Amino acid sequence: MEAALPISAAPDVRTSQPKQVRATAPSVSLPLRFMLTGLVALFVAAGWIIAKPAILASYHYNQYVIAATHLVVLGFICTVVMGAMYQLVPVALETKLYSERLAKWQFVFHVVGFIGMVWMFNVWDMKQVGHFGSVLAVGVGLFVYNMARTLWRVPKWNFVATAITAALVWFSLTIFVGLCIAAAKCAYESTEGLAAADGVKEMITGLQLVAKVVSRFDAIGAMHAHAHLGVVGFFVLLIVGVSYRLIPMFMLTEVQSKRRAALSILLLNLGLAGSVVTILLRSPLKLMFAGIAVAGLAIFGWELRAMLRARKRPALDWGLKTFLVAVALLTPVCLLSLTLSWPGLPMNQFFSMLENVYGFLGLFGVVTLAILGMLHKILPFLVWFGVYSPHVGRAQLPLTSHMVSERAQAAGLATYLAALSIISVAVSCESELWVRVGGVFLFTSLMLFGYNAAKVFSHFRKPQIKPLPAAKPASP
Amino acid sequence: MNPNPLTESTILDALRQVLDPEIGMNIVDLGLIYDVKIAGSEVRVAMTLTTAGCPMSESIRSGAEWALLNLEGVTTAHVELVFDPPWHPGMISQTAASPSTPTI
Repeated sequence: MEAALPISAAPDVRTSQPKQVRATAPSVSLPLRFMLTGLVALFVAAGWIIAKPAILASYHYNQYVIAATHLVVLGFICTVVMGAMYQLVPVALETKLYSERLAKWQFVFHVVGFIGMVWMFNVWDMKQVGHFGSVLAVGVGLFVYNMARTLWRVPKWNFVATAITAALVWFSLTIFVGLCIAAAKCAYESTEGLAAADGVKEMITGLQLVAKVVSRFDAIGAMHAHAHLGVVGFFVLLIVGVSYRLIPMFMLTEVQSKRRAALSILLLNLGLAGSVVTILLRSPLKLMFAGIAVAGLAIFGWELRAMLRARKRPALDWGLKTFLVAVALLTPVCLLSLTLSWPGLPMNQFFSMLENVYGFLGLFGVVTLAILGMLHKILPFLVWFGVYSPHVGRAQLPLTSHMVSERAQAAGLATYLAALSIISVAVSCESELWVRVGGVFLFTSLMLFGYNAAKVFSHFRKPQIKPLPAAKPASP
Repeated sequence: MNPNPLTESTILDALRQVLDPEIGMNIVDLGLIYDVKIAGSEVRVAMTLTTAGCPMSESIRSGAEWALLNLEGVTTAHVELVFDPPWHPGMISQTAASPSTPTI
């Protein structure tokens, strides 16, 4: 076996060092900073579950659960998703990112916003949650604007672009509703002392008005509506929409029925819109809209199966296996959703804890696992692109599959599934001990992911470049 | 004068050194090469990508040129990216799509 050469020793074929090449995607440092920040947040969240298992083993309407949930949702999921979108939306929709500079500013607002929010939720200072939430909202505004301008340039509009646009609308609405809920939980006793001329009084009066409107709704219903807007509207819709582009790219297949794909996106949007309203109003029609959303996801599963059957790449790598397991976990989550939407369901201890299981499986079983699966693909590619793309055709380069340990990926998925199973049962039984045990499995799985990520990043330090075999004379 | 004239087969062999790092398949077996023209020591290749938004478009294009220039008898290489007709998985060679194909 030949020794790896340092990048400076790469074979210089005809001229000086090749230039770094860039096409439609932004520089790799942009998505990587989002992804690494997100992974740190996920590690902290897993550690938090081990340290404080009551977060999952008690009903979710308390400050610690809300703080931990926002750490996972904003700190991990949103951060990684935003970074991935800056990279993948231009690739998937054959366009160019509108502004990399805006994305860098958004990163700052986002990180300051979510850290402050999690911290302030934990100490339950809702006024500061509102302030940090506003910082985060500025970042989200920049993100949505950047994405909207990017989408505006899409040469051929298609159902994937529609799904991404809808997800951005739901995401904006989630942030708006979240800020309104925060406003509703603040006290406004200091308003009277403020002067009318400086504008602050008008702003606080406006917030009071918002608080008055939001207070008309049930607090838990508003929280559940906010959660569904974000998780289903932004994350699940993106998983569905982007799958129609990424699965064909990774598996060398094609969408088998565009009509079916479009219908799944339509039904998911329709079901979500109705669900949010009916959750907020505690209407018995909730079941019908949950059923529409579930039908959309079932059609997505149908199309995904058809695409996989038509694939030209027979072997499934662990990144795709992980992603597909996450998609399969939509089945128990959908069943729980239909059960919990049943009209007249008694809100006893058992069903209350089942809501926790539903939320946990939705966030960790579907969304987080799907993201981890895609990160198994995206992280090696980004590092490969950053390190090796100038050397294509000039040297022998490793494949992305050679940059990771498949055994660590397989062990990571197995321990993750064990964690999901243990924690789900433990939560329904309100067992803090077993939640902690499951948390240890979860942390172990993430350590295995971290090991692979470190292996991937080691290529920045020690590139594996070998000279090409000597050029053969042309045959007669 | 080069005693071994260039043929389409030697050109394609040279282009097989350029791999898609994620799929682990070379650009010829992926069906990305649409046309090869040889005029003396000058080679012109028309190729496509699996997607027009591929972030590796420029590195694959220039990598293909380098692979051609590394071939004895080639003094000028032009690789042009075209997207009409668009690539689809049916263009992959049958042998490359089989599970026993080595990836590197």
